[in-house]
Amino acid sequence: MSVENKPLPIIEVVNLKKRFGRIQALKGISFSIGKGEIVGFLGPNGAGKSTTLRILSGLIPADSGEAKVCGVDLAQEEGLVRNHIGYLPENNPLPEDLRVIEYLRFRALLKGLEGSRLKERIKVVLDICDLERKISERKIGNLSKGYRQRVGIADSLLAEPRLVILDEPTIGLDPHQSAVTRKMMERLRGEVSFLLSSHILSEVEACCDRMIILSHGQIVAEGTLHDLQKRFVNKTTFQIVASSNKIDIQKKIRLLDQTCELLQDDPVEVSGKRRYNFSTDKGEHIAEKIVRTLLEENDIRISEFQIRRPDLETIFLRATKKNWEEHDFLNRTKI
Amino acid sequence: MKSYYIILRYELFSLFISPSTYVAAFYFLSLLALGFRFFIETFSNTDWLLPPLSSLIVGLLFGAPALIPFITMRCFAEERRLGTLETLFSAPVSNWILVIGKWSGCFVFFIIISALALCFPLLLLLMFPEQGGNLGFNEIENWTGSTLYLLIFGGTFTAIGVFSSSITKNQMVAGMLTFTLLTAYLSIMVFSFGNQTSDAYFTNYQKLTDGLFGTYINGLDKFGQFSVGLIDLSTILNQAALTIFFLILSTIQIERLNN
Repeated sequence: MSVENKPLPIIEVVNLKKRFGRIQALKGISFSIGKGEIVGFLGPNGAGKSTTLRILSGLIPADSGEAKVCGVDLAQEEGLVRNHIGYLPENNPLPEDLRVIEYLRFRALLKGLEGSRLKERIKVVLDICDLERKISERKIGNLSKGYRQRVGIADSLLAEPRLVILDEPTIGLDPHQSAVTRKMMERLRGEVSFLLSSHILSEVEACCDRMIILSHGQIVAEGTLHDLQKRFVNKTTFQIVASSNKIDIQKKIRLLDQTCELLQDDPVEVSGKRRYNFSTDKGEHIAEKIVRTLLEENDIRISEFQIRRPDLETIFLRATKKNWEEHDFLNRTKI
Repeated sequence: MKSYYIILRYELFSLFISPSTYVAAFYFLSLLALGFRFFIETFSNTDWLLPPLSSLIVGLLFGAPALIPFITMRCFAEERRLGTLETLFSAPVSNWILVIGKWSGCFVFFIIISALALCFPLLLLLMFPEQGGNLGFNEIENWTGSTLYLLIFGGTFTAIGVFSSSITKNQMVAGMLTFTLLTAYLSIMVFSFGNQTSDAYFTNYQKLTDGLFGTYINGLDKFGQFSVGLIDLSTILNQAALTIFFLILSTIQIERLNN
């Protein structure tokens, strides 16, 4: 695609900064999100995720930097952005006295929907969020956390937004309820851009096209899972399930690859067999060579072999570890 | 303007579905009805100079510290406690519209309660036209002046309640603060009642400042005029300014919360 034909990003952030008193919450972050992308915003507590999301939702102003959401410059028309986005705040606050349908009608009216379009949109979002008629007639205060979360998401989708910002949408949900949220995002993939923050890394891994990892108000990593795997975990990890003892296996492996290390001191025993995890600097081909050699050995019986891809949790810990080491707990940068 | 009506409707709806407002309205109207009945029965033996309708307005005015907190304490304090204020901020509505929408909702509810209270003399007039007529319940100027007086003070009282609700997360604290502020305001008016110096001793400047701001503390003195249908414009303007002042304070507080 040529530069001229490239569609405008839904979110474009350049050198965004925000300070709360003595705490510099954002230290000049820059990123962009394209149309239809699902992007996960990751980071430890206090990393600046919610602050960024609140700035992008037009709730609070940034101190400096540029932020454009759906083509709206937040510095100039902060309030206007609310017409284009759906926002689910952290903890999903909802009025407890209202029925689901009453609340959605009120929110739809506030977002400028009326008449047949209002009725149609409410019907559509109830369907997308799996809120059947019986639930929509119940008071919000009587709903379970999962259903309340669905009501919040339904609200964020009401005005057919081009961008939906979800702050911790799956926090406190059981796996079934989380799956419903994932299903909803899958259903809208390509049509709506999603920016979601989460602590549940498996969730982000399962549904996001791209991840942005934030730590101490800075972006420490950005890209697809594959990009991040390549960048942060340069060792190959493999797992062997065998009936032989640790010393024999380790000795044979060390003969082939000096860099190969056993990752745990005591292997896990499974049905009389032991599970060993190794890591090597020499890539997947040496791991395969090791297992071929071990299979030829008569005194070693291997029943399972698996090359393990580093998961997002490993990447997250590695990406944020460096940043944590540079800061002490009072958020002061070490010299 | 559309968002204003939506917020107003939402606030009014929230009040109508809240049991506490029904309980407060029931007790308030019951006590007011008993007081009104007692006053009408003993009216001939009292030295009350104003039309009997004014007794109901005075009852509503001095009963306001007990009623207004129940109407206004929820509006922002509850939203703050639940965190739903953030959801409201995320909608395309300005903070000023949010504040006047909520105030209007509370004020309309106050008008509904007042209208129910004003049904007492109306019912009396319908059931006993002769006695009602003798008590002046059929005189339109009494109704116009008294109702207008009630509305302008009701507006200010509700704005004070909305402001109190905007500065705390706790409904009870908001209610107590409203009660205290309204009681203080009414006490100032009671203690200043009848202390107006004669115009003859005033300089032109004093006359001007008294005309412009005097009703803040001498509001009760002006009631005599309103109750017989004489409308004092400076009182209306002063109360409107005070209402706007408290609504601006509430908006500033809401803006501060947003940042």
